[in-house]
Amino acid sequence: MLVPIFTLKLNHKINPRMVTIGKFDGVHPCLTAATQAGKVFIHNPYTRGQRTVAHRLSQSTQDSDISLLNINQAVTCLTAGTLGPNTTGDTLLVGSQTNLLAYDVHDNADIFYREVTDGANAIVLGKLGDIPSPLAIIGGNCALQGFDYVGNDHFWTVTGDNVRSLVLCDFTGDGKNELLVGSEDFDIRVFKEDELVSEMTENETVTSLCYMHGSRFGYALANGTVGVYDRTARYWRIKSKNHAMSIHAFDLNADGVVELITGWSNGKIDARSDRTGEVIFKDNFSSSVAGVVEGDYRLDGQKQLICTSIEGEVRGYLPASKDLKGNLMDSSAEQDLIRELSQRRQNLLLELRNYEENAKGVPEVNSGMGVIPANTQLQTALSVKAATDDQKAHVELSISTPNETIIRAVLIFAEGIFEGESHVVHPSVQNLSGCIQVPIIPPKDVPVDLHIKAFVGGKTRYISTQFHVFEITRQLPRFSMYDVTFDSSAALPTGKVTFSINDRPQRVVMWLNQNFLLPEGVESPDVTFHSLRAGGLLSFKMASNGQIIIRTDDIDLAGDLVQSLASFLAIEDLSAEADFPTYFEDLRTTLTEVDEFHAVHQKLTAAMADHSNYIRNMLVQAEDARLMGDMMTMKKRYRELYDLNRDLINEYKIRSNNHNALLACLKSVNQAIQRAGRLRVGKPKNQVISACRDAIKSNNINALFRIMRAGTASS
Amino acid sequence: MELHLNRVDYMQVGVTSQKTMRLLPALGKKATQKVAIADHDGILTCFGMKKGEAVPVFKTLPGQKIVRMDLGGAVGTPQEKIFVCSGSQVRGFTKKGKQFLTFEANLTESINAMHVLGADLFVCASYIYNHYCDCKDQDYYLSGDKINDVICLSSENLTRLVPVLACQDRVLRVLQGSELAYDIEVPGPPAVMEVYSKDGGEEILYGTTDGKIGLVHIGENSAATKWEIDNDKKKGGILCIDTYDIIGDGVNDILVGRDDGTVELYGFDSSNEPTLRFEHVLSESVTSIQGGCVGKESYDEILTATYTGWVTGLTTEPQKAEVGPGDEVRMSKETQSKVEALRAELEQLQVKVLQGREQYQQTSQSSTAVSAVPIFSINDKFTLCQDDASYSLTLEVQTAIDNLLLQSDVPIDLLDVDKNSAVVSFSECDSGQPNGNFLLATYRCQANTTRLELKVRSIEGQYGTLQAYVTPRLQPKTCQVRQYQIKPLSLHQRTHSIDQDRPMNRLGLVGQFSFAEIHSWVVFCLPEVPEKTPAGESITFYFHNTFLGTQLEATYCKGEAHFSSDNISTISILSDVLSKEATKKKINLNISCDIGDESVSHTLKMIHPKLEYQLLLARKVQLIEALKELQVHEGNADFLIPEYRNILDESADLLEEYKKQPAHLERLYGMITDLFIDKFKFKGQNVKTKVPSLLAILDNYDLNSLLDFFNEA
Repeated sequence: MLVPIFTLKLNHKINPRMVTIGKFDGVHPCLTAATQAGKVFIHNPYTRGQRTVAHRLSQSTQDSDISLLNINQAVTCLTAGTLGPNTTGDTLLVGSQTNLLAYDVHDNADIFYREVTDGANAIVLGKLGDIPSPLAIIGGNCALQGFDYVGNDHFWTVTGDNVRSLVLCDFTGDGKNELLVGSEDFDIRVFKEDELVSEMTENETVTSLCYMHGSRFGYALANGTVGVYDRTARYWRIKSKNHAMSIHAFDLNADGVVELITGWSNGKIDARSDRTGEVIFKDNFSSSVAGVVEGDYRLDGQKQLICTSIEGEVRGYLPASKDLKGNLMDSSAEQDLIRELSQRRQNLLLELRNYEENAKGVPEVNSGMGVIPANTQLQTALSVKAATDDQKAHVELSISTPNETIIRAVLIFAEGIFEGESHVVHPSVQNLSGCIQVPIIPPKDVPVDLHIKAFVGGKTRYISTQFHVFEITRQLPRFSMYDVTFDSSAALPTGKVTFSINDRPQRVVMWLNQNFLLPEGVESPDVTFHSLRAGGLLSFKMASNGQIIIRTDDIDLAGDLVQSLASFLAIEDLSAEADFPTYFEDLRTTLTEVDEFHAVHQKLTAAMADHSNYIRNMLVQAEDARLMGDMMTMKKRYRELYDLNRDLINEYKIRSNNHNALLACLKSVNQAIQRAGRLRVGKPKNQVISACRDAIKSNNINALFRIMRAGTASS
Repeated sequence: MELHLNRVDYMQVGVTSQKTMRLLPALGKKATQKVAIADHDGILTCFGMKKGEAVPVFKTLPGQKIVRMDLGGAVGTPQEKIFVCSGSQVRGFTKKGKQFLTFEANLTESINAMHVLGADLFVCASYIYNHYCDCKDQDYYLSGDKINDVICLSSENLTRLVPVLACQDRVLRVLQGSELAYDIEVPGPPAVMEVYSKDGGEEILYGTTDGKIGLVHIGENSAATKWEIDNDKKKGGILCIDTYDIIGDGVNDILVGRDDGTVELYGFDSSNEPTLRFEHVLSESVTSIQGGCVGKESYDEILTATYTGWVTGLTTEPQKAEVGPGDEVRMSKETQSKVEALRAELEQLQVKVLQGREQYQQTSQSSTAVSAVPIFSINDKFTLCQDDASYSLTLEVQTAIDNLLLQSDVPIDLLDVDKNSAVVSFSECDSGQPNGNFLLATYRCQANTTRLELKVRSIEGQYGTLQAYVTPRLQPKTCQVRQYQIKPLSLHQRTHSIDQDRPMNRLGLVGQFSFAEIHSWVVFCLPEVPEKTPAGESITFYFHNTFLGTQLEATYCKGEAHFSSDNISTISILSDVLSKEATKKKINLNISCDIGDESVSHTLKMIHPKLEYQLLLARKVQLIEALKELQVHEGNADFLIPEYRNILDESADLLEEYKKQPAHLERLYGMITDLFIDKFKFKGQNVKTKVPSLLAILDNYDLNSLLDFFNEA
């Protein structure tokens, strides 16, 4: 069995996911992590007692091997690595909600300190695509930004939602790194520089990503799922009731292939085979795991896996030696094999007994056994139901049995459409019948597999204690919350997107039938739907020359439709013209709001500076008074100081509200760019995004709207 | 001394009950022993180990499920006759498998406990005890509560046979003929008993369903408790006990098997106190345990049988780690042949199962055929945990569980259990709907989960049913529902005596009801009351509230019932529920209440230390984060006042303590609010409008102001 080769207690809390290892002097790896009170600690056990205290760096009094770095802001992410061309050691990069600091620990000097309005939720350091110098790429509110060693941003793009995880890896296999971005809208996006090459939809916020090998990468979601992707296909995944705090790729069993190491919120560490997800090693911490990293911490030329817990416990593991034969767990393989085989035998025997007993027929004595006709089959139907007085609009799943049997309960397991992962309908004893309607309201336009389990029992006077379980999987199409209407009198929405395709209308009809819940199906591609979620209409028209007009006021929906249709018809590049008057109007207001918030922000900062000067004076005066023995004045000054302090706190609250509002606005601006991009596919999409960026940079709002409408700046 | 035991799996039979596996006595001094095990399929298997392989000696034909097994034989000869009971029948087999005895006990219920001693046979159904000698009826006794186990002592110091019954109402009943000699109070409902010394003697070991173990010395007229081991670590209930000297120090060690899969070995230290020497956790309930020598001669081992029928040894034989030249760990020849045999058998079975599946599919074409899948067995337990006043539900199935649906028609909280790895998901349930669901939760289990443990917190006064639908991974898929009653006074537990000096509130009922009726109402209201109407004219039960420590006395007979409790809420709940039940049966009840005002202040004073402790704990826990931050900021904690430094020093313990009792404070607040409302309900006042001011007082808690508020309002 594999045991840790070293264990440390650092006496400092470690913020989850904010752990890294850096060789700041170029030789000695130091464990670096963010801790409470806006500090970063650096554990450097190699050069004891040689360090000076200056600038940001101070010595921890609790542990002589630890130096503390004062950031004075809540740290949100950090990493270390080579950034500049001629540095001796690694550069430490620390991100907060408003700033990014690049810091040279060895020389104890700031390299750059940049304000980042979109915040830094995640950071990654490395080379991206053809950009020559390594970049520190941060992901914030819907935006990605990459800085080089002097702090110039060489890379900028937008993404669908707040970024939560980043990783650089050669996804396409072209020898250059792509950027993988996991965000709060459950998507993993792959950027080849600023071009979006792939998009994988998961069912929860993507909290961690890590590069495995080849084209494989691991991921973790906020709902306790971890798994491995090979390119765009999911290889395996598992779900736990705990949350994965950190994932890392490390070859623990020394077989030449890395395993996925996961640190869990309950303190468990496990290593899973990259192929099957089978656990090959596990260990436990007493508190939640904070981060998993690797480094040659003993300076003996071997890399160790280093796991840290939030309470500051650190354990290092060496890869297994050869004589363990990849068997890292404390149990004998042969015993397990025999046990597994016997268990399988037992299962088969039980199943066989079920068939034998079944063949014998119903026993005379009633034993609570659920008896149903053998030809019972479960029927399911999906239909769209408009809102009524006592029920919201929903998709109705109707489940029924053809005979007199009853359905005791229905369990539906599906991802992303229920609060948990399942939905249960359990009628009371009086209301039992052979037919159950389940209302489903999918919150997003995603295709979902509904795994239905229905407990079916015989209709009898008493309630039997055993039921047959029918398992059926139905797919809910992507755009299920849209009810087809033939009422042409209603006014069409003002927003629209227009584009042309070179494909037969029949293919479009096929797409419509596959992606909408249509009771009879449609024959022509001209349809109008009633949107049940947001209200309003959605009209779809295709002219004979291949021009398609989608009318809706919901720009997101338009984007989803364009993307879905394009991928169905395998269109690589698609440019479009769009006009969403209401949305654009809102955006214009938002943009003016942004300016206002900026102005307020500056005013408040000036006021704060004034106040702090004032405080300094007041304090000096008060202390003078004290030394002079003038208690009256001293009291008065301190009272004033107290009032001033209260004012400052109030002002701080205003400032932070203002800041939050500003962030929200900036996010919606970023989202607008993303949405404008989603109305196009391929190259036109990237053009729109970068053109929008330029327009925002040059503060040319009219140009921005022109780009969003036409797809290019020049027209 | 470090004891190291290695686990060896021997074989698997069907589902087993408690105490259904025994080792036959060894023939020579050093020879290995044969194992006899009986299962729910009604098969009695006897096997021995030869070169690592289980070689059956004999195997009986399937029949009715076997619930107990014992070994016997004429006095002075080796105890090697095997007795098994199934239904109301006892059968005897020789060690060669020849049936020499079939005995019909002529009981209306099936036997659930049995003991054999020479020519004497002791059997127990739920409440009935019967003693036969040479198959002739001798004695008979009707117990007040369910009998879980029976044992009989005989030794030179005793002038007669002394049978002892382990009864659910927390007593061991010692009999003399057909009469009760005396009873011994034990700290929990005893589940199993075993004679301490194999050669007889008057000492018996008992294990309780809440995980406690004790040793009592039984005399003809009185008993003395030698020692008790508490269940501090909240391990499972005891299912089986044995004694065997496995450490080899000349003193018999105690082997214990629990229902959470724990196997324990207690040795005795120099002061003769039992101490835990070895622990191993199997994945399922341990139903039988015995010390002996099975796998290899001269290596002692602990042999266990589990719920799903695994016979597993924990042996002192060291495991040989053979490492071959190849990359794979080379298996020993025995294992290899074993694996091959298993694989061959599996293949055959696969074919058979495929045929079965096809036939089953075909029946679905027919319009007359029915599908009736036999019931699979579930081992379940729903018990109140005294420490945190919550219910623990454990479910165990012989194959892996696929999913579990929990449904409840009363408001209850589902708590997280560390051991439970299943992914839980709560489904929304509009309680306004006619379906009346208050809780709908699914547990999706990880592969190979055969045992699930859940924790449920109930509120007194809210009663109904909790249902669990268990679906195992077995084709054709079926699910089984189990129901658990959440009683109105769900947090009460039976006790042997109460403190009579406390100020009490009394509730009196007079009406035209029979003894059986009033008893059924009490059963409806309170847990741990036997369902059978007690013998005699009247009966008294004592209870205590596991959360608050208040008590309840219930005395009733035909036409009259008296309840007294120092907690006014308990009385209020009882009077509500009982009048509702009586109305259902159209019986006129004359209810009289005698409310002692001082009882309320008494209860509040009883709650006071708990509340104060919880408030202090909550405050301290709240401070920990901030203090730690200060500590990091300032570099050390020397500048803090000692109180705060203390909090920092104890932070780990405080957090642990706080985590152990989630929502404890809220529950206390809820109970105080109930107390307040109930106090004035009996005075005919509705004080619901004053609850916010009560909560305000609780937020700035002070005992005197709370007492004043209760008195003034």
